Amino acid sequence: MAMERIPCTGCSLLCDDVLIGTDGIFIDKIYGACLKGKERFNQPIAENRLTSPMIRKNGKLENVSWDVALEKIKQILANSSRPLLYGFSTSSCEAQLKGIKLAKKINGFIDSNSIICQGKVLNVAKEIGMTLTTLAEVINKTDLIILWGSNAAASIPRLLNKILFSRGKFRMTGREIKTIIIIDPVKTASFGVMQLRDVALHIEHGKDLELIRVLKEECCKKDSVLEKSVAGIDKEELNRLLLNLVGAENGVIFVGQGILRTHSDDNIIKELLELVQLINSRQEKGRMSLALLGGHYNMIGFEQVALSITGKNHSLQFSDNNLIETKDTIINKIEKDDFDCSIIVGTDPISHFPFSLSKNMASKPIICIDNRKSATSDIADVILPSAITGIECEGLAYRFDHVPMQLKKVLDPPSGIPTDEEVLNQIIQKLDVS
Amino acid sequence: MELYKYLPQTNCKKCGKPTCMSFALELLQGKVKISDCTPLIEEVKYKEKYEALKELLGGEGGKEKQLHIEIDEDLCDGCGICVTACPVNARYCPPTLSGKAPDVPHDKHQLFEVKDGKCVLLNLEHCRRLEAGGRERECRVCEIYCPREAIEIIYI
Repeated sequence: MAMERIPCTGCSLLCDDVLIGTDGIFIDKIYGACLKGKERFNQPIAENRLTSPMIRKNGKLENVSWDVALEKIKQILANSSRPLLYGFSTSSCEAQLKGIKLAKKINGFIDSNSIICQGKVLNVAKEIGMTLTTLAEVINKTDLIILWGSNAAASIPRLLNKILFSRGKFRMTGREIKTIIIIDPVKTASFGVMQLRDVALHIEHGKDLELIRVLKEECCKKDSVLEKSVAGIDKEELNRLLLNLVGAENGVIFVGQGILRTHSDDNIIKELLELVQLINSRQEKGRMSLALLGGHYNMIGFEQVALSITGKNHSLQFSDNNLIETKDTIINKIEKDDFDCSIIVGTDPISHFPFSLSKNMASKPIICIDNRKSATSDIADVILPSAITGIECEGLAYRFDHVPMQLKKVLDPPSGIPTDEEVLNQIIQKLDVS
Repeated sequence: MELYKYLPQTNCKKCGKPTCMSFALELLQGKVKISDCTPLIEEVKYKEKYEALKELLGGEGGKEKQLHIEIDEDLCDGCGICVTACPVNARYCPPTLSGKAPDVPHDKHQLFEVKDGKCVLLNLEHCRRLEAGGRERECRVCEIYCPREAIEIIYI
């Protein structure tokens, strides 16, 4: 049996070194993938796989043919003037393109999971700029790694393996010359990889902004020594952090969910980006860059696709086939009840969102396009099954460091099940027929 | 120093080392065996010390304790840090130098491998704790760096 290296779509790291052995029907050998990846490769034969279109009749979901399901969707969309489209972070870029086309056609509001993830950072970056890096550079050159508000050992299991323990092309030492700094209020599993030389900063909850402001003042100045503790961190630890920031030849700050979630305003992200710029301008040699850690594997892809065809990276409101200016996000929309049906593609907002939002969402018709059962598909009015991108169909996806990767097809999807792109195309064609 | 207490401390040079202290150091590093110190075995008055020393170093000959690396399957999440960090893997499996999964079928020297989302110990023969000398013999990288604390090096 031939072993093949294919990109894994378990998380946004998109490991391209996972080896799988397949006979064309099953994947029976998986080498190198973490538990997340393994579950993803087992998805084609999982118990919660959706295999047939379903619609809700008298409160119960029933299997129906594609035509009946598409007819029902047409009916729902005909009665709707403000539809919501949400998800697309686990679809290929081609499907995302079709999603935006559909939103344009039905004058809808389209948003991706990035709105509750790294979308905020990219919004600010559009105004003041951002220094990015790529995974290959981190592996081969980096000597300082800062995890800010991220428990990478749990959310992206293989990240620490790749960035911290790899030796790289230009040297034979790995872990020995790399320093890791973890800024987190909770002692997470990631702290387990630390050595004596590394710096563990137990920051007080919600005080990140305070720390960033102090660093902005003190960083990279000559002989700067902090005299008092900041945000619950000892001054000795802070001075070690300053020393590392100055001495690093190639440092990377991994921005996790912790820093995004605690602050509702964009201020903290702006200050963080400015801090990186300040360090880069003051430092004589070496540089600092950012990497954005997300969960869904193609979250960055939606940002790129939307930016390339509309000039706005998320939260696109269409009216009369044109993009119109709006400051709303999907969260505001649902809060204000400013929608009358929703199309969910490849995600599970009912379990991700707080109860007040999911209650609003559940009160309106839901069309769910997904390959697995979820809380959303359980309460949906119409369900269309789709093939699993990256295993059953090809496509383009963007890694967390904004590098596009071509996903591969290794298995055939169950008979009659189209890809996300084809499903969206069928809906568009069905709407055209009238 | 602990080992030095149990040696004859006569600096007789029968082991080939200049002093009992240097013998103790090399004993700690695993370069010499207890049996190289002939007075310790031959002379009756050192018998107690010899027994205590054997106990301290984990026995000798037939009673020698075996190295085991135990991986807790429930805790392991297949991150592959042990695969990349292991110096033996790094030497014989080039892909691990850049954090990638090693080739399949695996090299005969390879120690760890991630299969179906869990870490598997392939063989122990080439572990540094058995093959290397000096300080490298005290290698514990797989145990230290496992974020899930799933790996344990023990002697049974």
